[in-house]
Amino acid sequence: MNAPNRFELFVLEDGEKPVEVTEDTKIPNAATFKIVKQDHTLGNMIRAQVLSMPQVLFAGYKVPHPLHPYFLLKIQTDGTMTPQAVLEQACTKLIATISSLEAKFKREFSFKTTEGNVPEDPYGTTGASAQNWGTGKDYLDF
Amino acid sequence: MQTYEDNEPIVRIRDYKPDRVDFVLENVDLGFANSFRRVVQADIPTIAVDMVEVEANTTVLPDEFIAHRIGMVPLVSANCDEGIRYTRDCLCLSGCQYCSIELRLDVSCNDNRTMDVTSNHLEVIPPTYTDGETPGDELTKRGEDFGQPVGKNKADVPPVLICKIRKGQELKLRCVAKKGIAKEHAKWSPCSAVAFEYDPYNKLRHTTYWHETDPRTEWPVGENAKEEETPRDDEVFDFNAKPRKFYFDVETDGSLGPQEVIMKGLAELQTKLANLILGLKEGVDLPTGGDGAEAGVNGHVSAGDWAHQPGGGGWGQNAASGAGYASPAGGGGWSTSGGSGGWGTTSPAPNTGGNTGAWATSPAQNAGGAPNTTWGTSPAQAWGASSPNAASGSGWGTSTQQGWGSPTQQASGWNL
Repeated sequence: MNAPNRFELFVLEDGEKPVEVTEDTKIPNAATFKIVKQDHTLGNMIRAQVLSMPQVLFAGYKVPHPLHPYFLLKIQTDGTMTPQAVLEQACTKLIATISSLEAKFKREFSFKTTEGNVPEDPYGTTGASAQNWGTGKDYLDF
Repeated sequence: MQTYEDNEPIVRIRDYKPDRVDFVLENVDLGFANSFRRVVQADIPTIAVDMVEVEANTTVLPDEFIAHRIGMVPLVSANCDEGIRYTRDCLCLSGCQYCSIELRLDVSCNDNRTMDVTSNHLEVIPPTYTDGETPGDELTKRGEDFGQPVGKNKADVPPVLICKIRKGQELKLRCVAKKGIAKEHAKWSPCSAVAFEYDPYNKLRHTTYWHETDPRTEWPVGENAKEEETPRDDEVFDFNAKPRKFYFDVETDGSLGPQEVIMKGLAELQTKLANLILGLKEGVDLPTGGDGAEAGVNGHVSAGDWAHQPGGGGWGQNAASGAGYASPAGGGGWSTSGGSGGWGTTSPAPNTGGNTGAWATSPAQNAGGAPNTTWGTSPAQAWGASSPNAASGSGWGTSTQQGWGSPTQQASGWNL
Protein backbone atom coordinates (compact mmCIF):
# COMPACT_ATOMS: atom_id res chain seq x y z
CA MET A 1 0.00 0.00 0.00
CA ASN A 2 1.14 3.54 -0.61
CA ALA A 3 -0.56 5.09 2.39
CA PRO A 4 1.78 7.43 4.25
CA ASN A 5 2.77 6.48 7.75
CA ARG A 6 0.29 7.68 10.30
CA PHE A 7 3.03 9.10 12.48
CA GLU A 8 3.84 11.64 9.78
CA LEU A 9 0.89 13.53 11.21
CA PHE A 10 2.68 14.31 14.45
CA VAL A 11 6.40 13.60 14.09
CA LEU A 12 8.65 16.20 12.50
CA GLU A 13 10.62 14.96 9.54
CA ASP A 14 14.39 15.14 9.51
CA GLY A 15 15.46 18.76 9.48
CA GLU A 16 11.92 20.04 9.44
CA LYS A 17 11.46 23.30 11.33
CA PRO A 18 8.66 23.19 13.89
CA VAL A 19 7.63 26.76 13.19
CA GLU A 20 7.83 29.11 10.25
CA VAL A 21 7.28 32.85 10.62
CA THR A 22 5.92 35.03 7.83
CA GLU A 23 5.69 38.72 8.52
CA ASP A 24 2.67 40.45 7.11
CA THR A 25 3.51 42.88 4.29
CA LYS A 26 0.30 44.88 4.42
CA ILE A 27 -0.57 45.06 8.11
CA PRO A 28 1.87 46.62 10.57
CA ASN A 29 3.13 44.53 13.48
CA ALA A 30 1.48 41.38 12.22
CA ALA A 31 2.88 37.98 11.51
CA THR A 32 1.61 34.54 10.59
CA PHE A 33 3.16 31.51 12.21
CA LYS A 34 2.94 28.19 10.50
CA ILE A 35 3.28 25.57 13.20
CA VAL A 36 3.75 22.15 11.72
CA LYS A 37 2.84 18.75 13.13
CA GLN A 38 0.54 20.36 15.68
CA ASP A 39 -3.21 20.79 15.81
CA HIS A 40 -6.04 22.39 17.75
CA THR A 41 -4.55 21.14 21.00
CA LEU A 42 -1.81 23.71 20.77
CA GLY A 43 -3.51 26.20 18.47
CA ASN A 44 -6.56 27.01 20.51
CA MET A 45 -4.68 27.13 23.79
CA ILE A 46 -2.05 29.54 22.45
CA ARG A 47 -4.61 31.68 20.69
CA ALA A 48 -6.57 32.11 23.91
CA GLN A 49 -3.43 32.96 25.86
CA VAL A 50 -2.21 35.43 23.25
CA LEU A 51 -5.59 37.17 23.21
CA SER A 52 -5.39 37.77 26.93
CA MET A 53 -2.32 39.96 26.51
CA PRO A 54 -3.01 43.71 26.37
CA GLN A 55 -0.47 44.37 23.59
CA VAL A 56 -2.35 42.16 21.16
CA LEU A 57 -4.81 43.61 18.70
CA PHE A 58 -5.66 40.42 16.88
CA ALA A 59 -4.97 36.75 17.29
CA GLY A 60 -6.53 33.84 15.51
CA TYR A 61 -5.65 30.37 14.35
CA LYS A 62 -6.90 27.98 11.74
CA VAL A 63 -6.24 24.48 10.55
CA PRO A 64 -6.52 25.04 6.80
CA HIS A 65 -7.25 21.41 6.00
CA PRO A 66 -7.88 18.54 8.40
CA LEU A 67 -5.56 16.24 6.46
CA HIS A 68 -2.65 18.67 6.53
CA PRO A 69 -0.89 18.43 9.87
CA TYR A 70 -0.22 22.08 10.59
CA PHE A 71 -2.02 25.19 11.73
CA LEU A 72 -1.62 28.90 11.08
CA LEU A 73 -1.56 31.41 13.90
CA LYS A 74 -1.94 35.08 13.07
CA ILE A 75 -0.98 37.74 15.60
CA GLN A 76 -1.14 41.51 15.30
CA THR A 77 0.21 43.67 18.09
CA ASP A 78 0.06 47.36 18.92
CA GLY A 79 3.76 47.77 18.19
CA THR A 80 5.18 47.64 21.69
CA MET A 81 6.11 44.01 21.17
CA THR A 82 6.78 41.94 18.11
CA PRO A 83 4.38 39.10 17.38
CA GLN A 84 7.25 36.67 17.91
CA ALA A 85 7.90 38.01 21.38
CA VAL A 86 4.19 37.87 22.15
CA LEU A 87 3.97 34.26 21.08
CA GLU A 88 7.02 33.36 23.06
CA GLN A 89 5.72 35.06 26.15
CA ALA A 90 2.35 33.38 25.77
CA CYS A 91 4.00 29.97 25.58
CA THR A 92 6.13 30.77 28.59
CA LYS A 93 3.08 31.78 30.58
CA LEU A 94 1.27 28.64 29.59
CA ILE A 95 4.18 26.53 30.68
CA ALA A 96 4.17 28.34 34.00
CA THR A 97 0.44 27.67 34.38
CA ILE A 98 0.93 24.01 33.61
CA SER A 99 3.75 23.78 36.10
CA SER A 100 1.67 25.21 38.88
CA LEU A 101 -1.14 22.89 37.86
CA GLU A 102 1.26 19.98 38.01
CA ALA A 103 2.26 20.88 41.55
CA LYS A 104 -1.37 21.16 42.55
CA PHE A 105 -2.29 17.85 41.02
CA LYS A 106 0.59 16.20 42.75
CA ARG A 107 -0.55 17.63 46.06
CA GLU A 108 -4.11 16.53 45.51
CA PHE A 109 -3.06 13.04 44.51
CA SER A 110 -0.85 12.70 47.55
CA PHE A 111 -3.73 13.70 49.80
CA LYS A 112 -5.98 11.18 48.23
CA THR A 113 -3.59 8.32 48.73
CA THR A 114 -2.38 9.18 52.20
CA GLU A 115 -5.85 9.76 53.55
CA GLY A 116 -6.75 6.30 52.41
CA ASN A 117 -9.61 7.68 50.42
CA VAL A 118 -8.92 5.34 47.60
CA PRO A 119 -11.30 2.45 47.37
CA GLU A 120 -8.72 0.32 45.69
CA ASP A 121 -11.14 -1.91 43.90
CA PRO A 122 -13.14 -0.76 40.93
CA TYR A 123 -15.40 -3.76 41.00
CA GLY A 124 -16.53 -3.46 44.57
CA THR A 125 -14.84 -6.53 45.99
CA THR A 126 -12.50 -6.07 48.89
CA GLY A 127 -9.34 -7.18 50.54
CA ALA A 128 -6.62 -9.11 48.81
CA SER A 129 -7.47 -7.86 45.36
CA ALA A 130 -6.65 -4.30 46.28
CA GLN A 131 -3.54 -4.01 44.15
CA ASN A 132 -4.80 -5.81 41.12
CA TRP A 133 -4.76 -2.89 38.76
CA GLY A 134 -1.57 -1.59 37.36
CA THR A 135 1.68 -3.09 38.36
CA GLY A 136 1.12 -2.92 42.06
CA LYS A 137 3.77 -0.25 42.05
CA ASP A 138 2.99 3.40 41.94
CA TYR A 139 4.43 4.77 38.76
CA LEU A 140 6.43 7.30 40.73
CA ASP A 141 8.42 4.45 42.22
CA PHE A 142 10.19 3.84 38.96
CA MET B 1 -9.19 39.95 32.57
CA GLN B 2 -6.05 40.74 34.43
CA THR B 3 -7.40 39.21 37.58
CA TYR B 4 -8.03 36.00 35.73
CA GLU B 5 -4.51 35.96 34.46
CA ASP B 6 -3.06 36.46 37.87
CA ASN B 7 -5.12 33.68 39.32
CA GLU B 8 -3.50 30.35 39.71
CA PRO B 9 -5.38 27.32 38.51
CA ILE B 10 -7.20 25.36 41.19
CA VAL B 11 -7.66 21.62 41.19
CA ARG B 12 -9.91 19.62 43.46
CA ILE B 13 -10.08 15.86 43.13
CA ARG B 14 -13.57 14.70 43.95
CA ASP B 15 -13.12 11.01 43.41
CA TYR B 16 -10.03 8.90 42.88
CA LYS B 17 -10.25 5.22 42.05
CA PRO B 18 -7.67 2.87 40.56
CA ASP B 19 -9.08 3.37 37.10
CA ARG B 20 -10.50 6.88 37.20
CA VAL B 21 -10.17 10.32 38.65
CA ASP B 22 -12.91 12.90 38.90
CA PHE B 23 -11.76 16.46 39.43
CA VAL B 24 -12.78 20.07 39.13
CA LEU B 25 -10.43 22.46 37.38
CA GLU B 26 -10.91 26.15 38.07
CA ASN B 27 -9.39 29.43 37.01
CA VAL B 28 -8.24 28.30 33.61
CA ASP B 29 -9.33 29.22 30.15
CA LEU B 30 -11.73 27.11 28.12
CA GLY B 31 -9.10 26.57 25.47
CA PHE B 32 -6.62 25.42 28.07
CA ALA B 33 -9.04 22.96 29.63
CA ASN B 34 -9.92 21.58 26.24
CA SER B 35 -6.27 21.20 25.29
CA PHE B 36 -5.73 19.27 28.48
CA ARG B 37 -8.61 16.97 27.60
CA ARG B 38 -7.31 16.48 24.08
CA VAL B 39 -3.77 15.73 25.17
CA VAL B 40 -4.92 13.21 27.76
CA GLN B 41 -6.99 11.41 25.19
CA ALA B 42 -4.70 11.45 22.21
CA ASP B 43 -1.08 12.19 23.03
CA ILE B 44 0.01 9.84 25.79
CA PRO B 45 1.97 6.80 24.67
CA THR B 46 0.92 3.31 25.67
CA ILE B 47 1.57 -0.09 24.18
CA ALA B 48 -0.86 -2.17 22.18
CA VAL B 49 -0.68 -5.13 19.84
CA ASP B 50 0.18 -3.77 16.42
CA MET B 51 1.01 -6.86 14.38
CA VAL B 52 -0.43 -10.35 14.46
CA GLU B 53 0.95 -13.40 12.72
CA VAL B 54 -1.69 -16.07 12.49
CA GLU B 55 -0.33 -19.61 12.57
CA ALA B 56 -3.61 -21.43 12.83
CA ASN B 57 -7.13 -20.15 12.85
CA THR B 58 -9.95 -22.61 12.48
CA THR B 59 -12.42 -20.50 14.37
CA VAL B 60 -15.49 -18.96 12.80
CA LEU B 61 -13.94 -15.51 12.81
CA PRO B 62 -11.59 -14.39 10.02
CA ASP B 63 -7.96 -13.52 10.81
CA GLU B 64 -8.44 -9.77 10.38
CA PHE B 65 -11.38 -9.78 12.70
CA ILE B 66 -9.36 -11.47 15.45
CA ALA B 67 -6.29 -9.31 14.83
CA HIS B 68 -8.39 -6.21 15.24
CA ARG B 69 -9.92 -7.48 18.47
CA ILE B 70 -6.53 -8.33 19.91
CA GLY B 71 -5.27 -4.88 19.07
CA MET B 72 -7.97 -3.39 21.28
CA VAL B 73 -6.93 -5.35 24.36
CA PRO B 74 -5.36 -2.92 26.86
CA LEU B 75 -1.85 -3.91 27.95
CA VAL B 76 -0.14 -2.71 31.10
CA SER B 77 2.00 0.22 29.95
CA ALA B 78 3.17 1.84 33.17
CA ASN B 79 6.36 3.84 32.64
CA CYS B 80 6.42 3.08 28.94
CA ASP B 81 8.17 6.39 28.26
CA GLU B 82 11.30 4.79 29.58
CA GLY B 83 10.50 1.13 29.25
CA ILE B 84 10.14 0.92 25.51
CA ARG B 85 10.99 2.90 22.38
CA TYR B 86 9.05 3.76 19.31
CA THR B 87 9.94 1.35 16.54
CA ARG B 88 10.54 4.32 14.24
CA ASP B 89 13.23 5.58 16.65
CA CYS B 90 14.82 2.21 17.19
CA LEU B 91 17.98 1.00 15.55
CA CYS B 92 16.41 -2.25 14.52
CA LEU B 93 14.64 -2.78 11.24
CA SER B 94 11.24 -3.95 12.28
CA GLY B 95 10.99 -4.60 15.96
CA CYS B 96 13.33 -5.90 18.63
CA GLN B 97 13.14 -6.43 22.36
CA TYR B 98 13.71 -2.72 22.97
CA CYS B 99 10.83 -1.51 20.86
CA SER B 100 8.34 -4.34 20.93
CA ILE B 101 6.85 -6.98 23.15
CA GLU B 102 5.93 -10.40 21.92
CA LEU B 103 2.76 -12.11 23.03
CA ARG B 104 1.52 -15.53 22.06
CA LEU B 105 -1.87 -17.10 22.07
CA ASP B 106 -2.35 -20.81 21.61
CA VAL B 107 -5.76 -22.23 22.40
CA SER B 108 -7.63 -25.24 21.16
CA CYS B 109 -10.87 -26.76 22.33
CA ASN B 110 -11.05 -30.47 22.91
CA ASP B 111 -14.19 -30.67 24.99
CA ASN B 112 -17.68 -30.84 23.71
CA ARG B 113 -18.56 -27.32 24.70
CA THR B 114 -18.13 -23.73 23.64
CA MET B 115 -14.94 -22.26 24.97
CA ASP B 116 -14.06 -18.59 25.42
CA VAL B 117 -10.73 -17.33 24.13
CA THR B 118 -9.93 -14.34 26.28
CA SER B 119 -7.12 -11.93 26.98
CA ASN B 120 -6.07 -14.27 29.80
CA HIS B 121 -4.76 -16.66 27.14
CA LEU B 122 -2.30 -14.06 25.86
CA GLU B 123 1.15 -14.88 27.18
CA VAL B 124 4.01 -12.40 27.18
CA ILE B 125 7.21 -13.93 25.85
CA PRO B 126 10.06 -12.51 27.95
CA PRO B 127 12.98 -11.14 25.94
CA THR B 128 15.83 -13.56 25.50
CA TYR B 129 19.46 -12.69 25.93
CA THR B 130 22.49 -14.24 24.42
CA ASP B 131 25.28 -15.20 26.80
CA GLY B 132 26.79 -12.39 28.78
CA GLU B 133 24.36 -9.82 27.45
CA THR B 134 22.69 -7.68 30.05
CA PRO B 135 19.23 -6.30 29.66
CA GLY B 136 19.40 -2.82 28.21
CA ASP B 137 18.37 0.33 29.92
CA GLU B 138 14.75 0.15 28.84
CA LEU B 139 14.21 -3.40 29.93
CA THR B 140 15.21 -2.71 33.50
CA LYS B 141 12.74 0.14 33.67
CA ARG B 142 9.80 -2.01 32.81
CA GLY B 143 7.46 -3.05 35.54
CA GLU B 144 6.93 -6.62 36.48
CA ASP B 145 3.87 -7.23 34.33
CA PHE B 146 4.72 -4.73 31.61
CA GLY B 147 2.91 -5.76 28.45
CA GLN B 148 0.53 -8.17 30.14
CA PRO B 149 -3.14 -7.74 29.38
CA VAL B 150 -4.69 -5.54 32.04
CA GLY B 151 -6.00 -7.54 34.95
CA LYS B 152 -4.67 -10.83 33.67
CA ASN B 153 -5.72 -13.77 35.85
CA LYS B 154 -7.26 -11.48 38.43
CA ALA B 155 -10.50 -12.98 39.63
CA ASP B 156 -12.21 -9.65 40.00
CA VAL B 157 -11.24 -8.23 36.62
CA PRO B 158 -13.18 -9.94 33.86
CA PRO B 159 -10.95 -10.75 30.86
CA VAL B 160 -11.56 -9.41 27.38
CA LEU B 161 -13.34 -11.92 25.16
CA ILE B 162 -11.48 -12.38 21.88
CA CYS B 163 -13.46 -15.15 20.28
CA LYS B 164 -15.48 -18.31 21.05
CA ILE B 165 -14.43 -21.73 19.79
CA ARG B 166 -16.09 -25.15 19.73
CA LYS B 167 -14.67 -28.63 19.82
CA GLY B 168 -11.95 -29.19 17.25
CA GLN B 169 -11.26 -25.54 16.59
CA GLU B 170 -7.94 -23.89 17.25
CA LEU B 171 -6.47 -20.42 17.45
CA LYS B 172 -2.71 -19.99 17.45
CA LEU B 173 -1.00 -16.71 16.83
CA ARG B 174 1.95 -14.49 17.59
CA CYS B 175 1.39 -10.84 18.41
CA VAL B 176 3.85 -7.98 18.49
CA ALA B 177 2.93 -5.09 20.75
CA LYS B 178 4.43 -1.69 20.07
CA LYS B 179 4.41 1.76 21.55
CA GLY B 180 2.26 4.42 19.97
CA ILE B 181 -0.12 7.26 20.62
CA ALA B 182 -3.81 7.55 19.99
CA LYS B 183 -3.33 9.99 17.13
CA GLU B 184 -2.04 7.04 15.19
CA HIS B 185 -4.72 4.60 16.31
CA ALA B 186 -7.27 4.88 19.09
CA LYS B 187 -6.13 1.56 20.57
CA TRP B 188 -3.17 3.45 22.03
CA SER B 189 -5.34 5.78 24.04
CA PRO B 190 -4.91 5.28 27.77
CA CYS B 191 -8.41 6.64 28.36
CA SER B 192 -11.62 4.83 27.73
CA ALA B 193 -13.60 7.98 28.39
CA VAL B 194 -12.98 11.54 29.46
CA ALA B 195 -16.01 13.41 30.71
CA PHE B 196 -15.72 17.15 30.30
CA GLU B 197 -18.40 19.61 31.35
CA TYR B 198 -18.71 23.27 32.17
CA ASP B 199 -21.59 25.60 32.90
CA PRO B 200 -24.17 22.94 33.82
CA TYR B 201 -27.00 25.47 33.92
CA ASN B 202 -26.12 26.80 30.47
CA LYS B 203 -25.86 30.33 31.82
CA LEU B 204 -23.39 31.19 29.07
CA ARG B 205 -25.77 29.88 26.38
CA HIS B 206 -23.03 27.95 24.65
CA THR B 207 -25.69 25.44 23.73
CA THR B 208 -29.34 25.56 22.82
CA TYR B 209 -31.69 22.96 24.20
CA TRP B 210 -34.31 21.54 21.95
CA HIS B 211 -37.63 21.62 23.82
CA GLU B 212 -41.37 21.36 23.39
CA THR B 213 -42.53 23.88 25.96
CA ASP B 214 -39.95 24.57 28.66
CA PRO B 215 -36.32 23.40 28.47
CA ARG B 216 -35.87 23.62 32.23
CA THR B 217 -38.47 20.98 32.96
CA GLU B 218 -37.54 18.79 30.03
CA TRP B 219 -33.76 18.78 30.53
CA PRO B 220 -32.63 17.55 33.94
CA VAL B 221 -29.44 19.11 35.29
CA GLY B 222 -26.51 16.82 36.00
CA GLU B 223 -24.57 16.07 39.17
CA ASN B 224 -22.12 18.87 38.47
CA ALA B 225 -24.90 21.43 38.82
CA LYS B 226 -24.63 20.97 42.58
CA GLU B 227 -21.30 22.76 42.41
CA GLU B 228 -22.84 25.92 41.00
CA GLU B 229 -25.54 28.37 41.98
CA THR B 230 -28.93 27.89 40.43
CA PRO B 231 -29.61 30.90 38.26
CA ARG B 232 -32.44 33.17 39.36
CA ASP B 233 -35.41 33.55 37.09
CA ASP B 234 -34.80 37.23 36.59
CA GLU B 235 -31.07 36.91 35.98
CA VAL B 236 -29.94 38.94 33.00
CA PHE B 237 -27.63 37.34 30.48
CA ASP B 238 -24.02 38.28 31.14
CA PHE B 239 -22.52 38.31 27.67
CA ASN B 240 -19.03 38.95 29.01
CA ALA B 241 -18.98 35.90 31.23
CA LYS B 242 -16.47 33.19 30.45
CA PRO B 243 -16.36 29.60 31.65
CA ARG B 244 -13.87 29.24 34.50
CA LYS B 245 -14.86 25.96 36.11
CA PHE B 246 -14.51 22.62 34.38
CA TYR B 247 -15.63 19.19 35.51
CA PHE B 248 -13.47 16.31 34.37
CA ASP B 249 -13.81 12.60 34.83
CA VAL B 250 -10.83 10.81 33.33
CA GLU B 251 -11.45 7.10 33.06
CA THR B 252 -8.55 4.91 31.97
CA ASP B 253 -8.63 1.49 30.40
CA GLY B 254 -6.11 0.21 32.94
CA SER B 255 -3.03 0.46 30.73
CA LEU B 256 -1.93 3.49 32.75
CA GLY B 257 -3.15 4.69 36.12
CA PRO B 258 -5.14 7.89 36.30
CA GLN B 259 -2.37 9.75 38.08
CA GLU B 260 0.14 8.79 35.42
CA VAL B 261 -2.27 9.86 32.70
CA ILE B 262 -2.82 13.30 34.25
CA MET B 263 0.82 14.01 34.99
CA LYS B 264 2.00 12.79 31.60
CA GLY B 265 -0.68 14.82 29.91
CA LEU B 266 0.57 17.98 31.58
CA ALA B 267 4.17 17.13 30.78
CA GLU B 268 3.24 16.50 27.16
CA LEU B 269 1.58 19.89 26.91
CA GLN B 270 4.69 21.52 28.32
CA THR B 271 6.83 19.66 25.84
CA LYS B 272 4.72 20.84 22.94
CA LEU B 273 4.99 24.44 24.10
CA ALA B 274 8.69 24.17 24.82
CA ASN B 275 9.39 22.75 21.37
CA LEU B 276 7.52 25.68 19.90
CA ILE B 277 9.62 28.15 21.87
CA LEU B 278 12.70 26.31 20.73
CA GLY B 279 11.52 26.54 17.17
CA LEU B 280 11.00 30.27 17.50
CA LYS B 281 14.59 30.75 18.53
CA GLU B 282 16.58 30.48 15.40
CA GLY B 283 20.06 29.16 15.31
CA VAL B 284 19.63 26.91 18.26
CA ASP B 285 20.90 23.43 17.91
CA LEU B 286 17.47 22.12 18.59
CA PRO B 287 15.95 18.74 18.01
CA THR B 288 14.18 19.40 14.76
CA GLY B 289 14.50 15.98 13.26
CA GLY B 290 11.82 13.46 13.89
CA ASP B 291 13.96 11.24 16.02
CA GLY B 292 15.58 14.07 17.84
CA ALA B 293 12.30 15.70 18.63
CA GLU B 294 10.92 12.49 19.92
CA ALA B 295 13.93 11.90 22.03
CA GLY B 296 13.51 15.34 23.47
CA VAL B 297 9.93 14.58 24.23
CA ASN B 298 10.77 11.39 25.93
CA GLY B 299 13.61 12.91 27.75
CA HIS B 300 11.49 15.59 29.23
CA VAL B 301 8.79 13.25 30.27
CA SER B 302 11.00 10.48 31.41
CA ALA B 303 13.14 12.70 33.51
CA GLY B 304 10.34 12.59 35.98
CA ASP B 305 10.75 16.18 36.92
CA TRP B 306 7.29 16.47 38.35
CA ALA B 307 8.17 13.74 40.71
CA HIS B 308 11.00 15.72 42.15
CA GLN B 309 9.20 18.97 42.28
CA PRO B 310 9.00 20.24 45.80
CA GLY B 311 5.66 21.85 45.12
CA GLY B 312 4.80 25.39 44.39
CA GLY B 313 7.96 25.78 42.41
CA GLY B 314 7.80 25.42 38.77
CA TRP B 315 8.63 27.85 36.11
CA GLY B 316 8.83 30.97 38.09
CA GLN B 317 6.11 33.12 36.76
CA ASN B 318 7.51 36.27 38.17
CA ALA B 319 10.98 35.82 36.90
CA ALA B 320 11.66 39.51 36.83
CA SER B 321 15.31 38.87 37.22
CA GLY B 322 15.26 36.78 34.12
CA ALA B 323 17.32 34.05 35.55
CA GLY B 324 17.07 32.10 32.39
CA TYR B 325 16.08 28.60 31.82
CA ALA B 326 18.53 26.66 33.78
CA SER B 327 17.54 25.97 37.31
CA PRO B 328 19.54 27.74 39.98
CA ALA B 329 20.35 24.72 42.02
CA GLY B 330 21.38 22.88 38.97
CA GLY B 331 19.10 20.16 40.05
CA GLY B 332 15.81 19.92 38.45
CA GLY B 333 15.73 21.17 34.95
CA TRP B 334 12.39 22.60 34.10
CA SER B 335 10.38 22.63 37.12
CA THR B 336 12.44 22.66 40.22
CA SER B 337 13.48 26.22 39.86
CA GLY B 338 12.05 28.46 42.48
CA GLY B 339 10.33 31.78 42.26
CA SER B 340 12.97 33.73 40.51
CA GLY B 341 14.27 30.92 38.42
CA GLY B 342 12.61 29.40 35.50
CA TRP B 343 11.61 30.95 32.30
CA GLY B 344 11.88 34.64 32.68
CA THR B 345 8.56 35.94 31.59
CA THR B 346 9.43 39.57 31.49
CA SER B 347 12.02 39.54 28.82
CA PRO B 348 12.68 43.01 27.49
CA ALA B 349 14.34 41.90 24.32
CA PRO B 350 14.73 38.24 23.88
CA ASN B 351 17.91 37.00 22.37
CA THR B 352 19.78 40.06 21.54
CA GLY B 353 23.39 40.56 22.31
CA GLY B 354 25.03 37.85 20.41
CA ASN B 355 23.94 34.81 22.30
CA THR B 356 21.31 33.98 19.83
CA GLY B 357 21.22 30.43 20.78
CA ALA B 358 21.07 30.69 24.48
CA TRP B 359 17.87 30.48 26.35
CA ALA B 360 18.36 33.57 28.34
CA THR B 361 15.52 35.94 28.00
CA SER B 362 17.44 38.74 29.59
CA PRO B 363 20.63 39.55 27.75
CA ALA B 364 22.25 41.42 30.58
CA GLN B 365 22.18 38.46 32.84
CA ASN B 366 23.51 36.18 30.30
CA ALA B 367 26.28 38.29 28.97
CA GLY B 368 27.59 38.93 32.43
CA GLY B 369 27.81 35.35 33.29
CA ALA B 370 29.45 36.01 36.58
CA PRO B 371 26.55 37.36 38.63
CA ASN B 372 24.40 34.50 37.72
CA THR B 373 25.44 31.09 38.78
CA THR B 374 22.55 29.41 37.11
CA TRP B 375 24.31 28.96 33.86
CA GLY B 376 25.75 25.68 33.06
CA THR B 377 29.11 25.39 34.62
CA SER B 378 30.33 22.61 32.49
CA PRO B 379 30.06 23.23 28.79
CA ALA B 380 30.48 19.61 28.07
CA GLN B 381 27.15 18.91 29.61
CA ALA B 382 25.35 21.75 27.98
CA TRP B 383 22.64 20.96 25.58
CA GLY B 384 24.09 19.79 22.39
CA ALA B 385 27.74 20.34 22.94
CA SER B 386 28.14 21.02 19.28
CA SER B 387 25.89 24.03 19.41
CA PRO B 388 27.50 27.43 19.06
CA ASN B 389 26.58 28.42 22.57
CA ALA B 390 28.38 25.66 24.25
CA ALA B 391 31.68 27.20 23.44
CA SER B 392 30.83 30.35 25.30
CA GLY B 393 30.06 28.39 28.36
CA SER B 394 26.48 29.47 28.52
CA GLY B 395 23.66 27.46 27.18
CA TRP B 396 21.71 24.77 28.66
CA GLY B 397 23.74 22.95 31.15
CA THR B 398 21.90 22.09 34.25
CA SER B 399 25.13 20.44 35.21
CA THR B 400 23.62 17.62 37.13
CA GLN B 401 20.63 15.66 36.11
CA GLN B 402 17.03 15.61 35.01
CA GLY B 403 14.91 17.73 32.84
CA TRP B 404 15.75 19.32 29.62
CA GLY B 405 19.34 19.90 30.19
CA SER B 406 19.90 16.35 31.10
CA PRO B 407 22.96 14.97 29.41
CA THR B 408 21.61 11.48 29.81
CA GLN B 409 19.26 9.65 27.59
CA GLN B 410 17.83 12.15 25.23
CA ALA B 411 21.03 14.00 24.60
CA SER B 412 23.26 11.08 24.03
CA GLY B 413 20.81 8.80 22.38
CA TRP B 414 19.61 5.60 23.83
CA ASN B 415 21.78 3.96 26.35
CA LEU B 416 22.09 0.43 25.37
